[in-house]
Amino acid sequence: MPDEKLGGYAGQILRVDMTTRKITKQPLNHEICEQYIGGRGHDAKIIFDEVPPKADPLGPENVLCISTGPITGLLGPTSGRVNAAALSPLTGIYGNSNAGTHWGPELKYAGYDGIIIKGKSKKPFYLYIEDEKVELRDASHLWGKGIFDTVQQLKEECDEEICVAAIGPAAENGVLYGSIIFDYWDATGRTGMGTVMASKGLKAIAVRGTGALKVADTKNYLRIAREGWEAVLNDAGFQTGEHSSLGTAICVNWGNAQGWLPTRNFQESHFENASDISGEAFRDKFSTKETPFPGGRACPSCPNRCKRFGKIESGPYAGTRGNIEFEGIGAFGSKCGINDLEAVFHAFMLTNDYGMDCIAAGNMIATFMELNKHKLLPKNILNGLDLSFGNKEAMIEAVHRIANRTGKLGELGGLGAAKATKKISPEATKYTSSIKGMDTIACDPRVAKGFGFTYAVSSRGSDHLRAHPVFEMIGMPKEIGKELFGSAESTELTKYGGKVNMVLWHENLAAVTDSMGSCRFMHASYYAQYPIPELLYKYGAKRSPDKHRGGKTKNKIPSIKYHEWLSAATGIKYTYEDLLKAGERILMLERAINLRRGVRKKDDTLPLRFFEEPVPKGPAKGEVFDKKIFDRMLKQYYKTRGWDSRQGLIKKSKLKTLGMTDVADKLTKERLTV
Amino acid sequence: MSQLIFNSNLCTGCRACELACSFVSEGVCGPSQSRVRVVKIDEEGIDVPVGCTHCEDAPCITICPVKAINRHNETEAVLIDHDVCIGCKECLTACPFGAIQYDEIKKIVYKCDLCGGDPECVKWCYTGAIQFPDKISRMVQKKQRQTAIKIAKTGQSSRKLIHR
Repeated sequence: MPDEKLGGYAGQILRVDMTTRKITKQPLNHEICEQYIGGRGHDAKIIFDEVPPKADPLGPENVLCISTGPITGLLGPTSGRVNAAALSPLTGIYGNSNAGTHWGPELKYAGYDGIIIKGKSKKPFYLYIEDEKVELRDASHLWGKGIFDTVQQLKEECDEEICVAAIGPAAENGVLYGSIIFDYWDATGRTGMGTVMASKGLKAIAVRGTGALKVADTKNYLRIAREGWEAVLNDAGFQTGEHSSLGTAICVNWGNAQGWLPTRNFQESHFENASDISGEAFRDKFSTKETPFPGGRACPSCPNRCKRFGKIESGPYAGTRGNIEFEGIGAFGSKCGINDLEAVFHAFMLTNDYGMDCIAAGNMIATFMELNKHKLLPKNILNGLDLSFGNKEAMIEAVHRIANRTGKLGELGGLGAAKATKKISPEATKYTSSIKGMDTIACDPRVAKGFGFTYAVSSRGSDHLRAHPVFEMIGMPKEIGKELFGSAESTELTKYGGKVNMVLWHENLAAVTDSMGSCRFMHASYYAQYPIPELLYKYGAKRSPDKHRGGKTKNKIPSIKYHEWLSAATGIKYTYEDLLKAGERILMLERAINLRRGVRKKDDTLPLRFFEEPVPKGPAKGEVFDKKIFDRMLKQYYKTRGWDSRQGLIKKSKLKTLGMTDVADKLTKERLTV
Repeated sequence: MSQLIFNSNLCTGCRACELACSFVSEGVCGPSQSRVRVVKIDEEGIDVPVGCTHCEDAPCITICPVKAINRHNETEAVLIDHDVCIGCKECLTACPFGAIQYDEIKKIVYKCDLCGGDPECVKWCYTGAIQFPDKISRMVQKKQRQTAIKIAKTGQSSRKLIHR
């Protein structure tokens, strides 16, 4: 239906050419929406179609896409996600990151689903969007400013009510893992999307939108959105109130108890001082918000409100403020051996204001610490800095040096652990957790086998969010593991059975919700989506004593039916199977882009440490990822995805089954199919 | 009947209320068309719901030169009669909360009408930052008891607790 307007979507894309400074408004491509939904899926198609295979991520040919999905800005069980995608300067392969922020809906209300940015400008500009009015404005007075000052300045000179996406000094200084930060604290943190934006001379995007979004099925929409909403409210995990009251920082104590909290650069997986840097400690010391279940701030239309805002009022780090998140605590806390929560919070907020990925920065510093321990660092790199595990002042100084590219430490540190260690020595490369150039998050792959497998096959390099298979961590009833994934072992953290099927299913669904503009946590932290609540009712099974799940479901509880929700919003008829298929397509596109960038089977693996060094102590002592089993799992994964077992190239036949003939033809010409 | 009670301490800034309101009032999802608004002060981590409190002594009723604004007999909601309204916008200026807004396209002033007695925003507010209590006095009594329990449990002064 090319001429009919689709519901949910705003219906327009902005194209910005930073070389010519030309801005064009384009109608949203319905065909792309029908195949790839929007958001992450839409961006993958644009990158695949428009970026030359060998383009330089920091050159004018790279395309930066910032897209919302059809659900972004609507009423329903979370609708606040925005996606950023481009070739990554950090990894050299497909780069992609996602943020939960009110900026996304504001862009939709202004009348645009996404922004596609090409070219390169030597002079810095910011993009100003106010409904139909779109213009590039001089940003020389903003270049060099941190995120906080940039947003404040723009609010002063434009409008108090604008939402701002900005890059910071880290990206400007060429740190390869620069982030785009939305509304002070929300990040598309990983893969260096901010660095791409900086390379194009774009400092910020300020949006004010006073419009509204229509849905296709006005009659049934409210009921369907409400059912999804109640599914979350009824979810057993949600009802404990813990995720809401602690935010993702719940994972510090919880993950440590399960034995997967990376400690001192993944040497260990249990941190003796975890409770000092836990979500509970943060809530008790710093949180400024108290609600009936103590809870924080929320993304658009989200009942979970897991943003925990805090302020340090006194002491050496007085004035530090912002949203705490688990990965930042893992990065600057347990990974660096630091038990001082104020120092961890401060380091984290520094990376936020400099505009760089806390995971990459923390991992880089932790790597330097371990290399220092083994005397593997080049002579002149530290300049007297005692960068050792547990030294919080040195860690904070390292953050400053990296963001400002000061000295040898800053120069190397800004490259990220994979590239930096390559420059140091072959021996040094053994001490990173990187896969395809991306650092591993705060969950040890030797312990959580599903997570571990996800890291190896993720389309942006080591990443847990591609799948986020929390399913294996929360004591799900064994019957459900058997029914969905073919093995009861899929419900057990350290086992392997059924994990490939589990990862595949999670990956497909995650690609869908990233593309819709809805949050992963409703269906892969909580499991409020069809068919899980239905299965919980079917089996009426008592779940494990794990606090986050408990009790029987005697009564039928509602579930989020993403297919119904998306159908009601857009008018495009989806079944549950259709949606999962769309997810498959999106992952195919991302794989295709990666194949062009040289990714092959040998890259779908884990760092040697995780195959060879068993966890030395803690609740998961002795765990390691079995290489032989991994190889079998990879074979099974490739088979299901339709990739060939030799090199991991894509089977033409599978692309045709998915209705991706144009992609099949292009890829075949490039000899990336079998 | 009752009134909407707004509590910024409980607001998480999710803005589902704005979307619910605009959807049932205008059939679209758009905060600009919502009768209730959440003001976000991101640099402080604060969210404040602002809307019509259907004041006992409503400035908008008093100031309207053509008596287009009146209190509904049953719901006690303060309502604008658009057939009588001349669009002078005095009510918009008089409201201390900015609860009366102007639609540039339809060229009318509009405000919260309590959804005829069953306000939609309240249904979506999961923390109780917007409430429509049957009896306001009962709501206050509940709060008194909750605070008392906190004081008794921790032995801390009530002021410290409330302004944490």
